[in-house]
Amino acid sequence: MTEPDAEESAPDGDESATAHRVTLAWRDGRTERVAVAADETVLDAAERAGVGLPFGCETGACATCTARLLSGNLDHLRPPRALKERHREQGYVLPCIATPTTDCRLEVGSAVAGDLVSNPWK
Amino acid sequence: MVYHVCWGMSDADQRGDAEPHAHHDHDHEHGVEGPGYATPQAAIEEAEREETAYVMGLYAGTDVAAPDFLAVVDLDPDSDTYAEVVERLEMPNRGDELHHFGWNACSSSCHVEGLERRHLLIPGQRSSRIHVVDTADRRDPEFETVVEPDEVYEHDLSAPHTVHCIPDGEILISMLGDANGDLPGGFLELNDDFEVEGRWDTPGDIEMNYDFWYQPRQNVMLSTEWAAPRTYYPGFDLEDVEAGNYGQRLNFWDWEAGEVVQTIDLGEEGMIPLEARFLHTPESTHGYVGAALSSNIIHFHEENDRYLAEPVIEFDDREHPDWDMPVPALVTDILVSMDDRYLFGSNWLHGEVWMYDVSDPSNPRKADSISIGGYFGDIQEVQGRELVAGPQMLQLSLDGERLYWTTSLFSSWDEQFFPEEGERGSVMLKADVNPRRGTMSLDEEFLVDFGEMPEGPARAHEIRWPDGDCTSDVWQ
Repeated sequence: MTEPDAEESAPDGDESATAHRVTLAWRDGRTERVAVAADETVLDAAERAGVGLPFGCETGACATCTARLLSGNLDHLRPPRALKERHREQGYVLPCIATPTTDCRLEVGSAVAGDLVSNPWK
Repeated sequence: MVYHVCWGMSDADQRGDAEPHAHHDHDHEHGVEGPGYATPQAAIEEAEREETAYVMGLYAGTDVAAPDFLAVVDLDPDSDTYAEVVERLEMPNRGDELHHFGWNACSSSCHVEGLERRHLLIPGQRSSRIHVVDTADRRDPEFETVVEPDEVYEHDLSAPHTVHCIPDGEILISMLGDANGDLPGGFLELNDDFEVEGRWDTPGDIEMNYDFWYQPRQNVMLSTEWAAPRTYYPGFDLEDVEAGNYGQRLNFWDWEAGEVVQTIDLGEEGMIPLEARFLHTPESTHGYVGAALSSNIIHFHEENDRYLAEPVIEFDDREHPDWDMPVPALVTDILVSMDDRYLFGSNWLHGEVWMYDVSDPSNPRKADSISIGGYFGDIQEVQGRELVAGPQMLQLSLDGERLYWTTSLFSSWDEQFFPEEGERGSVMLKADVNPRRGTMSLDEEFLVDFGEMPEGPARAHEIRWPDGDCTSDVWQ
């Protein structure tokens, strides 16, 4: 998983009917685009393409991979247990268990998970 | 009870010796060749000064796209690479969040001939992957095997935390969640070939889990409570405290039977009871738990076949000009010196490491402290390196004369309370302790800067010595 096989990477121009293009946007302005196959998670597609997103449990429990959906739609393949209702209403999603149903734009990077909770006493 | 004399191997015997523990082929003068030491006092007498530390280094939850690693730190003051990370064993995957770890064997297996304290079990807190690392060559550890998450989920468990060996060579790991990262947690047992043996407890015996310690001569094990992984993984949310999603109970087990026999609800005085430490002497039923959120030290002991628990040290909240609410101390780690004379602890938010005289276990008496790091520490830099978090995971030399600590708690919690820790990396620091006088002082010559790792600034968490330490050795 740490060394994605470049040969397996879906090329940007992959027009397979079931693949969706997902644009990953970091807060520092960097962007990457990956093709995500049907029922493939955004994280798996990013790993396949050699794009390093933060992640942890890969089961939707830990929120390390938290991203914010800026446009498009995606489905979670299992319950996103790490997200509270308020987070889901604000557009936070978990790329480790999410697959796009349309082309999407996601805000990614470790800082996004930091939005979920703040210092409660400060 | 037969007292065997065990033999502890020293760094001096072993360093640079790539032959895996060749001593076991030799006759030796002490009798039984199990791992560890016959008694806590034997550990103090026989252990040589620690020259190597194993430290968890991690990138999980940062934008550094590199795996977490086992850091080998040179602690030999005569070495040119003293206080440096001299080797890093990278995990095979990213995203583990290495946290706590433990040995395949300790002094509790002193009677088991041929068993060696040689393999480190290194769980990924988030990944639920369990790495087994062979330290036959102390300065060049290598992977023995890896237990993949699916093998753990099969037993409806996740989020491995504390590793203790069981006296006959098996290994027990506290698991904080079910396969979905929800409750209940439980315990996973591995056999001496590092294969998953199955679930040690009965599912549902406990809800929450965290740390545990067993005291076999008293046939007791204590387990503590953090929360469901899905609750604590993303960070600390006061809503979860109000909803009762955080732990406040101590679970006492019949060690032989593997059943909970008594649960003590600590209430508000014992919110988030984390590290559990029995005194080392196998005769004792006394011990301590650090209730992190309440910032109290809970003392427990047995009386008339029942365990009693009450706060014996209370750290008050402090006002800070930048905070709306008083800042809790947040006692995140404690340990008992090998001679059972001192309890050491860290107040991560306040920025304090402290030592209390516990020669009268029910009545701790403050001996000394160092005000360093955190929000109130008097010392805010070491060798010009700014401290961007408070003292956290502790480890003490077996002779009780050197206390070391690192500064990261947990990636997502660091981000909330000390956001610079991820950007700058952790430090490992040291204090010299005088156990005779009950004093401690910062060693300003010692600094391991995990901000200077080749892949980028790393967090650092638990610390262990090759020859056993104050938070892993248990006696039968």
